[in-house]
Amino acid sequence: MTVSTRHRALWRRCLALLVLIPAIALAGPTAPLDKKLKIGVTLHPYYSFVANIVGDRAEVVALIPAQANPHNYQPQPDDITRAMTLDALVVNGIGHDEWAFQIVKAAGRGATLPIIQANASVALIPIGGDQDGAKVVNPHTFVSTTAAIQQVFEITRRLGELDPQNAAAYRQNALAYAARIRALRAGFMTRFAALDLSSFRCATTHAGYDYMMQEFGLFVSAVIEPRHGVAPTARQLANTLDAIKKANVRVLFAEKNFSLDLAKPIEAATGVKVFALSHITGTAYSADEFEVAMRENLETLAEAVEFTQR
Amino acid sequence: MARLSRAWSGDDAHGAIRVVRPASGRWESLALLLAALAIIASVTGYVLLRAQHAGPPTPLSWQVRSFDGLGAVDQAIHSALLPAGEEIIWNNNDTGGWITLTRAQDILLPPFYRDAFWKTNGEVHWQLILPGTHLPHAGSVDDHDDADVPPDPSPSDVSQATQGQGATVYYGSGGHAPGQSAYLLVIGHAHAGVMWANQATIWVHRDPNAPYPGIVKPESLVGSGWRQVIPYDGASEVERVKGNQP
Repeated sequence: MTVSTRHRALWRRCLALLVLIPAIALAGPTAPLDKKLKIGVTLHPYYSFVANIVGDRAEVVALIPAQANPHNYQPQPDDITRAMTLDALVVNGIGHDEWAFQIVKAAGRGATLPIIQANASVALIPIGGDQDGAKVVNPHTFVSTTAAIQQVFEITRRLGELDPQNAAAYRQNALAYAARIRALRAGFMTRFAALDLSSFRCATTHAGYDYMMQEFGLFVSAVIEPRHGVAPTARQLANTLDAIKKANVRVLFAEKNFSLDLAKPIEAATGVKVFALSHITGTAYSADEFEVAMRENLETLAEAVEFTQR
Repeated sequence: MARLSRAWSGDDAHGAIRVVRPASGRWESLALLLAALAIIASVTGYVLLRAQHAGPPTPLSWQVRSFDGLGAVDQAIHSALLPAGEEIIWNNNDTGGWITLTRAQDILLPPFYRDAFWKTNGEVHWQLILPGTHLPHAGSVDDHDDADVPPDPSPSDVSQATQGQGATVYYGSGGHAPGQSAYLLVIGHAHAGVMWANQATIWVHRDPNAPYPGIVKPESLVGSGWRQVIPYDGASEVERVKGNQP
């Protein structure tokens, strides 16, 4: 082989290398810029919150089936599969979705999946009524408007950190959503403004409505369940019935999608009128589910207050 | 393992009674006792010395916890001020301006918006105090009539009070619900170098008619009887129950 032939071969190799380097770099595992985040949610209200925050800029994935009861949910294999594909998970974190952490752990995502605690910046309040003198945290922050808006803002802030490109859009969407929730509340506030709320006394079967009551200056006098999801003993029930009678309670709020087995005997024993509020657990996830359910709740609350004015 | 001793203590030729001694003497009992003591000591040491999970913040003498330190009305107003503060800061980041009380009426923003919530929670008189400007100006003061409301700070007082502090303040007073406080929503500004840069703090005063404090730095507020509200929030609750979360 002559010297010139060797030089040509060397040049060919260098040229091939120059062509290959960018090709190899482009073939690397870089994520496409327009990749949408997959954001998991544990409860119905959070589906609505996140869907309204992200619009079409991210995908919202419900971690468990819509019909499942979060109070006693047992994780299923499909949940684990879903958790494996998520980019973030929005949780209540203070008492409704403990199973989510089991699912995340089983999916091997305990160290890699960002968890967004929706309640991280929500000022919690205690469960109303007499809890044996103890102040027990009420985890139902999503059955409200003000605490719901606070959660929407918290989720928005965290999503903006995870997805900076869309942070401004998320914030604009969150502000528009918050304005809609406030408008919903304002409509009922006008209705409440004409009513005398000072003498309103109510009891609830489930400690789910203190945040909503707080927004209207209303308070719960007695809660039938001694603890979240725990049925009362005969003695506890007798004590609660006494408390209802002494406080001159005329209204009992039961759970809309749950059994009224507990409410009916209390109605018979005390003469209270039973109204049913929604825990915002439905049969299908949707962006407007929270607003629909809260409108129904506020309508029920207004009817109950109006009943006591008659 | 104990082995049968060759020593026979009885002479019963028929072997009716035999006392068997362990080959190691009587050390098993002592060894068992020592092992039990060692286990007890280890467990006790672990319980006493293990890393404790951090609990919720304990309020200092000049602080009050929202969860169990505030009355129902103060708690409701505090809960409304938190998201309002967030929205006010976002609005400032986007527009450079502050949400006036007139604007708060337009966008139905509690606790400033005068609805049933405002009515049942004492009809508090709110004022917006801007940093280093001559206020109150149009839209910065609730204009409903209330004889019990303390007089507004004069523009020169306000200007002097907030000059150089960079803090924007929503000041609520004159509420008439039983046990109600006066309120401050203090929003620090990053470029002004105040300690709460870009975040809001909420303060209460036992006297619902407490005058505007003038200077809104913490030492001054504490000196004039204001207490900072520490929200017991979801992050604190998670930390209390489980320790630090990912």
